Amino acid sequence: MKTRADAVVIGGGVVGAAIAYNLAKLGLKDTVVCEKHTFASGSTGRCGAGVREQWGAEGNIRMCKAAIDIFETLQEELEYDYDIEFVQKGYLMLAYTEKEWEQFKANLKVQHRLGVNAVALTPEEAREIVPSLNIEGLYGATYNPRDGHANPFHTTRAYLKAFERLGGEVYCFTEVTGIEQSNGKIQKVRTTRGDISTPVVVNAAGPWAAPVAAMVGIDLPVYTERHQILVTEPVGRLFDPMLMSFSRGFYSQQTPHGSIIMGIGDPDEPKGYDIGHSWQFLKRMCDIMCSVVPALMGVRVVRQWSGLYTISPDAHPILGTVSGIDGYYQAVGFSGHGFMLAPIVGKVIAEMILDRPLSIDISGLDLGRFERGDLRVEPSVV
Amino acid sequence: MEASGIRITQHPILDFPERRKVKFYWEGKELEGYEGEPIAAALHAAGIKVLHKSLKQGRPRGFFCAIGNCSSCLVVVDGVPNVRACTEKLRAGMRIEMQEGVGPVPVSKE
Repeated sequence: MKTRADAVVIGGGVVGAAIAYNLAKLGLKDTVVCEKHTFASGSTGRCGAGVREQWGAEGNIRMCKAAIDIFETLQEELEYDYDIEFVQKGYLMLAYTEKEWEQFKANLKVQHRLGVNAVALTPEEAREIVPSLNIEGLYGATYNPRDGHANPFHTTRAYLKAFERLGGEVYCFTEVTGIEQSNGKIQKVRTTRGDISTPVVVNAAGPWAAPVAAMVGIDLPVYTERHQILVTEPVGRLFDPMLMSFSRGFYSQQTPHGSIIMGIGDPDEPKGYDIGHSWQFLKRMCDIMCSVVPALMGVRVVRQWSGLYTISPDAHPILGTVSGIDGYYQAVGFSGHGFMLAPIVGKVIAEMILDRPLSIDISGLDLGRFERGDLRVEPSVV
Repeated sequence: MEASGIRITQHPILDFPERRKVKFYWEGKELEGYEGEPIAAALHAAGIKVLHKSLKQGRPRGFFCAIGNCSSCLVVVDGVPNVRACTEKLRAGMRIEMQEGVGPVPVSKE
């Protein structure tokens, strides 16, 4: 293991992997990733892996649009031997209340202004896209064919393999235990496998972002929350787009190999690090999805699990530098949509570290926004 | 009577009580088996060993783990996919089809 590096990225999830790859691509030679378990073992490998432009807040729309631009050619860019399974079959956003439908129509206005080609559909038109859809109780839907989903394990691995080819090193089972600084400058990262001297450290620790930030004295305003999810046996194609509703709180996608992944939020979920799972989730999830797509009745569930959202006060990530600590960067608090943002965040954080022109403006997403009272607002989060 | 003659009729420990013979269909063809025996047993006795085609390459798959664990012997029974031939009991009149990759789930038309 190296004892010196140009940069240490903490976290081997998709965000850390994307940052590390972009640093190496831009020429930073000795970059390492420290991952306390295995890559994608935190939130990344547990996520629903959707990628959508259909947001309500301008910042999220801009970032996700830029991320999809990258996703579209990522397989080739990373020269990956396997398939990251990026498919663009759209998101079908389902409105089951008048309020939700009004919100979707308001979102569409923002999306159209920013060049997103989402459309409003009647329930009948929605059923033309998903013939297995039960349209009872549906007010309307919006659909954007450019949205989609990818395989989070393969995407992360593709980034890390490309990073390693460029000379980077990935240390798994290497937990960061401390960060040393002096005179407001980062000096060293301490790990369970030895110390690494470095002028740059990147906090991409996902659910453990707050404990890592505390190592440099930052009190990060985020909390973690369990989100449960399940997967069925593979079956013939029932629906192409990701199905999602905020009023009913669910999302569901059918993977390229035919299994169906679905998750649902729980408003009573306590904050914390619990990643157990419950029969109550199983029942609620199945009840709802069997009413949305009745053909799912009788399809077997093969597995359920959960992962952690790391939620910021305005459901937007906290990106970039922190004043007073030279060499510390963070990409944290993704609030349940880190996977889809990773390609553009990885790029822009690397650009920021190397003092290059930024691909996208993220100045409003720094930690200082909470002190300034300049919060973003995102109305459309599951 | 048994096409492949592989049915065990005598065994030092196990008994084989008298069971009712029933008709069922494999790919539309009428066959006979014993009520309550695993579908896979009835099909094997009739000489049918390829029950499923693999997901990606469409390779032949059949009886493998025999305890409902491995997904090798999945068949479509009366239109329902992903039925384990090794553990599902044979009933009179069952219509069993080879499952080609992932089985289609019936979507009811209104």
